[in-house]
Amino acid sequence: MMHSILRNKTRKFLIVLFWITVWEILSLIINRDIYLPSPFYVFKVLIELLKSRDTYLTIICSTYRTLAGFLISCTTGIILGYICGTNKFFHDLFNPLIGVMRVVPVMSIIIIAIMWFSDTNVPIFAAFLMCFPIIWTNTVNGIKSADIKLLQMCKVYSIKKMHIIKSVYFYSAVPYIEAAMISALGIGWKVTSAAEVLSLPKYSIGGHLYDSKVYLEIPELFAWTVIIISLSCIFETILKKLFKSRNYDQSY
Amino acid sequence: MISLINISKKYNDLEILKNFNITFEKNKITCLFGPSGIGKTTIANITALLTTVDSGEIKGSENAVYSYVFQEPRLLEWYSVFGNIDFVLKNVYDDKKRKCIVNNYINMVELMGYENYKPNALSGGMQQRVSLARAFAYPSNFLILDEPFKGLDIKLKDGMINLFERLWNIDKRTVLFITHDVDEAIFMSDFIYVIKNRPAEIIGKIEPPKYNSKVEAKSVLLSLSGTSSNI
Repeated sequence: MMHSILRNKTRKFLIVLFWITVWEILSLIINRDIYLPSPFYVFKVLIELLKSRDTYLTIICSTYRTLAGFLISCTTGIILGYICGTNKFFHDLFNPLIGVMRVVPVMSIIIIAIMWFSDTNVPIFAAFLMCFPIIWTNTVNGIKSADIKLLQMCKVYSIKKMHIIKSVYFYSAVPYIEAAMISALGIGWKVTSAAEVLSLPKYSIGGHLYDSKVYLEIPELFAWTVIIISLSCIFETILKKLFKSRNYDQSY
Repeated sequence: MISLINISKKYNDLEILKNFNITFEKNKITCLFGPSGIGKTTIANITALLTTVDSGEIKGSENAVYSYVFQEPRLLEWYSVFGNIDFVLKNVYDDKKRKCIVNNYINMVELMGYENYKPNALSGGMQQRVSLARAFAYPSNFLILDEPFKGLDIKLKDGMINLFERLWNIDKRTVLFITHDVDEAIFMSDFIYVIKNRPAEIIGKIEPPKYNSKVEAKSVLLSLSGTSSNI
């Protein structure tokens, strides 16, 4: 067991190493930092960034925006998803609206949000609008996937609708909601950074991305990107661990 | 007592029932005996008002409170054994009484110590016992058993049949029992209706308690259904 975990970790490490090597070879071929800086240079800049207090403040502020957008979309998406999944009228009422939200370009949402909100709330609103349809759709689909045989059983035993929603629909939708939350969180990070680039709130990763572009500090842009990717991975892992611990609780 | 009168039911173009009549007598075990796919479950679902009919009348259903042991256990996999039985009693009893009743039935189906287990941690036979406990714990007056012993090995099946007998003798209800196993039918039922053909029709009725021995009743049932052992 221990041996196989170790082997798995070594394998993962080697895969990462392989792609960094590819990156290094490409940067050597191109040989211009402004197009593609070498991974070592990016790593050096990253270390420099991590020495500054402002970097941490920026990370905290951007994390706050991402998580706020994500949590608001989860709460509203799940609640509204339940209402629409169990009630045809509400489903038909909201379905076109959410269909539109799904296809609206991110940039349109961000630009509209800049007109409506203060700079720090723009990324939160944009993340909410992008994540909400994913959560809603999956919640509705999860509810619709509820086992018809269990619903029939509930009918025989005259179970109240409230109890059916709580005890059958809720649990049927949980795996769908978990999957939706994981993909929504990743999208949340992407959208928040994009919205920050345009709305430029104080202390934001997006703001730094924008600065890097203006001042042609491409290695810095790469370093900030590495930070976003790492944050996204960390939060995804935390979320998955949370789900896993809940599943373990259920096995007995 | 529930009567199905002149019931007709089609699934698409498939005529399952046509002017079908049957009566389930109060506090008796009535068995529907016939091959798979003949429409026995449809008759049970119509009786339990789970399936609508194209025409005909279901008499006596207004006073019926149903419980149902399905072919599969149909348990909520996210709830424990206790939670699954408790779930159907929520509208019926207060918390304290419910706890007492649920524990009592868990005891009767010999699942003490497994109260907090989730269904997927139990064997198929144990899950079916939970389903049986749930059906008996619910204060119904009409109990439907749709091939509840299907897929169980002989030892387990005998245990379940004994368990059913015990539970039923304590608390008698009108029972609709579906099977295609001759021994189960003879051993458990007051009346056996042999069902055949499409649309389904009753080709004979026997009353096992009226025969001198189970063997005699069995041979009558076999000759009626036209099979050698079971269909």
